[in-house]
Amino acid sequence: MTVTAPLVAQPSTFVHIRPGKGRFVNLRFIDWIWHVRGSVPLPAGQTGDEAFARLDPLFHEVGTTYERSSGMLMFSKKDQPAQDKMSVFDSGVLQIEDDAGTPVLRYRLASRALLFCFLVPLLFLAFAQLTIALNAFEKPPAAGASTAAKDADKKKPELRLNPIDKALGAPEPDKPKDGKGGKPEKKPTPTSAYVFAAIFVVLYGAGRILEDRLVRRLFIRRLQHEAPA
Amino acid sequence: MDGVRVGNRLIGTQAPVTIGWENIPKVEGGPVKQFIFTWFQPTVLFALLAFWYYAPNSIAKASTAIGIGIGFKVLLLALEWVNPRYASWRLTWKELTTDLFYVGLGYTILNLVDGYIGSDVMAKAIQTNFNWDKFAWFTGLPLLVQAFAISFIFDFGQYWMHRGMHNWYPLWLPHSVHHYITQLNINKGAVGNPVELFLIGLGIGGFFDFLPRAFLLAGAFGMAIGTYQHINVRFNSPRWWRFLFNTTEHHSLHHSQDFEATRSNYAGSYIFIDRMFGTCIDGEAELLGMEGGRRMTIREQMTFPFTEGWKTLKEKYGKGSSAHHSAVPAE
Repeated sequence: MTVTAPLVAQPSTFVHIRPGKGRFVNLRFIDWIWHVRGSVPLPAGQTGDEAFARLDPLFHEVGTTYERSSGMLMFSKKDQPAQDKMSVFDSGVLQIEDDAGTPVLRYRLASRALLFCFLVPLLFLAFAQLTIALNAFEKPPAAGASTAAKDADKKKPELRLNPIDKALGAPEPDKPKDGKGGKPEKKPTPTSAYVFAAIFVVLYGAGRILEDRLVRRLFIRRLQHEAPA
Repeated sequence: MDGVRVGNRLIGTQAPVTIGWENIPKVEGGPVKQFIFTWFQPTVLFALLAFWYYAPNSIAKASTAIGIGIGFKVLLLALEWVNPRYASWRLTWKELTTDLFYVGLGYTILNLVDGYIGSDVMAKAIQTNFNWDKFAWFTGLPLLVQAFAISFIFDFGQYWMHRGMHNWYPLWLPHSVHHYITQLNINKGAVGNPVELFLIGLGIGGFFDFLPRAFLLAGAFGMAIGTYQHINVRFNSPRWWRFLFNTTEHHSLHHSQDFEATRSNYAGSYIFIDRMFGTCIDGEAELLGMEGGRRMTIREQMTFPFTEGWKTLKEKYGKGSSAHHSAVPAE
């Protein structure tokens, strides 16, 4: 952890660290996918220094490094513990700004987990396409082989229940149907890949909303209710 | 830390562990809660066995088993919320997402790979090549005996594969990733490097023939016993249950940050296999993981066995290498 220079509230530098300028694709239009932005008004009479002192314990987690300077706090996390309250974020900037005479804490937090969850449905759709392609690639069994398989199945003895199971009332196994020599070979289906793609779409939506709210609530509680550690 | 002597071994010299059932905390709360969390596990096991034993053939299908499996996991997730073992193992959105990613890999790409090079395919190829028939005499045994045989044969194989992973460096490399999990939740069993997930699924069950219903009953054994390895729920498991079956307590010890403790409790479902071979330790741990509980990212989980393996090879055989490499061995 690194802490530099005492905190002094200054005119906004927040705008300068926003991405997008001079890029081929203006990231501002898409970076909401993996960024959480927000602002929390400071309680009446609370200075920037006091606010950061209250937030300070959040950045004393294992794997977190941070730097404070000029009314701004920048942090980054590596291999953050699962129970770190800001575990979902990998880096971010917090800044005290003056909003029409009221000091507010503005934050912009980046999360690779959110980006991963946003993109991972594409991976599962790729798995689905791969399954379809492999099924199409596999040749249907030759007629001779099919007959041989049927012959083999015909030779199989009929499945019977043990007398103990019969006495206890367990249902008898199904008899093989005439003309159909046993079960057809099961091909893998893309259904599970589609299901997981959908699950991650829902998870992303839930996570993007939930983590936004949780971190906002965390900052509000720290600033308003809890004494600095 | 002094540790506790268990046989010839000192357990808990590197990280805190609790040894002995008498020292493990009980479920806290009123009599109803105590009753539920004492009898939940046996009730589910016997209810599932009864269901699969008597369900008509039209219902006793793999698709029903998958549906029950998903429903059961959702129920267990709810129990994690209601009665967590440790607050420090609480499921977060990020943990859930990571876990489900691995569950998804299991149902999709790993399933696809298994269809080509899995142990059942290999068993079939061997049987075809040597004109062997399946060992079919099992089909005449009582259903529950067949079901137990299926799950025991698999678990016995898994015990030795798992023990091998903790004793032979090339197998430890893929398995080590699973040991970087820092908490136990219901889907954590799926978390690991895909190479390990493939290896741990290998078995010799493909050489045997059983009644279809016996497979479903065997699945019930696995689901109603093995599932509790990774779960953040406090149960008062009955004495006979924890003597026979693997529990969260056993498996938390296996995942603890204490090296000696991790070298115990290898079986998936039947802890009596560990008792037979002297590797069982009754106890539990809260602090889990490797390197002091460092949480790995998914990217590192995917590459770790290969990067670590490469590092070790370079240290051993690279230019200027000494005969003694510094990488931590599996043993």
